[in-house]
Amino acid sequence: MTAKKKWIALFLLIVFLHSFVLLKIDFAQQTVQEEKTGTTQEEAPEKIVPGPQGIKESTSMYVFIAWVWLAILVLVYFLRLKIREVDRLLEIRFLSEKKK
Amino acid sequence: MKEKKVKKDIRSWLDERSGLSVVFHFLREKKIPQHKHSLWYYTGSAILLFFGIQVITGFMLVFYYNPTLEEANSSVARIMTEIPLGWIIRSVHSWSASFMIAFVFIHLLSIWITKAYRKPRELTWMSGVFLLVLSLLFGFTGYLLPWDDLSLSATKVGTDIPRSIPVVGAWVTQFLRGGEDVTGDTLTRFFGFHVCILPIFLFALLAVHVYLVQKQGMSLPLDLESKEEKVNELPFWPNFVYREMIVWLVLIGVLFTVSIFFPASLEKAADLMAPAPEGIKPEWYFLFLFQMLKIFPSKILFMNGDTLVVLLILLGGIAFFFLPLIDNKPTERKGKIITVIAYLFIIYAVGMSVWSLL
Repeated sequence: MTAKKKWIALFLLIVFLHSFVLLKIDFAQQTVQEEKTGTTQEEAPEKIVPGPQGIKESTSMYVFIAWVWLAILVLVYFLRLKIREVDRLLEIRFLSEKKK
Repeated sequence: MKEKKVKKDIRSWLDERSGLSVVFHFLREKKIPQHKHSLWYYTGSAILLFFGIQVITGFMLVFYYNPTLEEANSSVARIMTEIPLGWIIRSVHSWSASFMIAFVFIHLLSIWITKAYRKPRELTWMSGVFLLVLSLLFGFTGYLLPWDDLSLSATKVGTDIPRSIPVVGAWVTQFLRGGEDVTGDTLTRFFGFHVCILPIFLFALLAVHVYLVQKQGMSLPLDLESKEEKVNELPFWPNFVYREMIVWLVLIGVLFTVSIFFPASLEKAADLMAPAPEGIKPEWYFLFLFQMLKIFPSKILFMNGDTLVVLLILLGGIAFFFLPLIDNKPTERKGKIITVIAYLFIIYAVGMSVWSLL
């Protein structure tokens, strides 16, 4: 991978991680005990269908998904280049062995 | 220059103690045959990918899940409503379980149809069948953990099925439930199975399976094996691994998209005294067995209908396990009949599952 490609990949990774942080991934944060005991079975609703609440959350979800697919497409592009390169090297080695 | 030397020193230090260079050398020399059925080679690593995702998301969920009668449902509700992005983690866990089991089925059926289990790969197949059973048990035990109406009723039905087995049936049901009925003890027991006992067995069996796959190498399709000309081969590292990485990336994308747009929901907490709700259905991978139990008459000749179905399923399972030994002449008539049976089984399983959903 050339230096330019490395920088592009690094830039995309930073932007991707940044958008992830924006979604407030603080999964490790422990909520206080009062909150935990507060949700009893009697209070629980009939059915919980999760998902983004409100326009802000749903927009951030769509942005997140868009970034996931963009990152995947970029990585697939680089991987395809790498595959082409390693296949070419394999062919050269195969042909040189055949000549011998 | 200095950086290279440090890297080399670290590598030789590690190698001296672990002998990992032998593994790396093996992977560099490993070859993957290239032919029209090569696509099936990617299913094995897809299963590993989803299993890895299950482990990671499972660890995250276990921080907050509480396997007690009073807290199970509310702790899942808390994960989904209070913990930031908890609903996505739970959804990814649930969907990756389905994806994993789907790929286990595809993997095994492709091996059945291409007869990749033939000599000397019989043990690889048998360990694979055990892995399928373990995956199904993971699904079954995990289904109860949210402790909602649907999961309670489905578990009641599911744990009642072994009761029909003669002699040991009642004991098996009691062992699974931790008593006569599905209670809080069953929940604790299923949690123990799901996060402790099954993973130990799965990791051990997975190690054996992967070792056997590496030892025997990739199997060739029957028609290619009989030909004398050499089959094209691709080095595992890096040519095949790069291709696998593309498959993994696309699968991760699909998993995330499905998990976000179709998140796993949660019903209200189960009530042990309440009657079973209408339309109880197990997970999709048990639907064909569920439908089979449903359509069988309660009495056939002198036998109980349920007992007959359970015995048939057990017999089918045993035959499936010993398939490489039964199909010992894959190129002859018997082998061709067994391939037809594979296609009929697929049609039957899909048909029964669809029927069950209607």
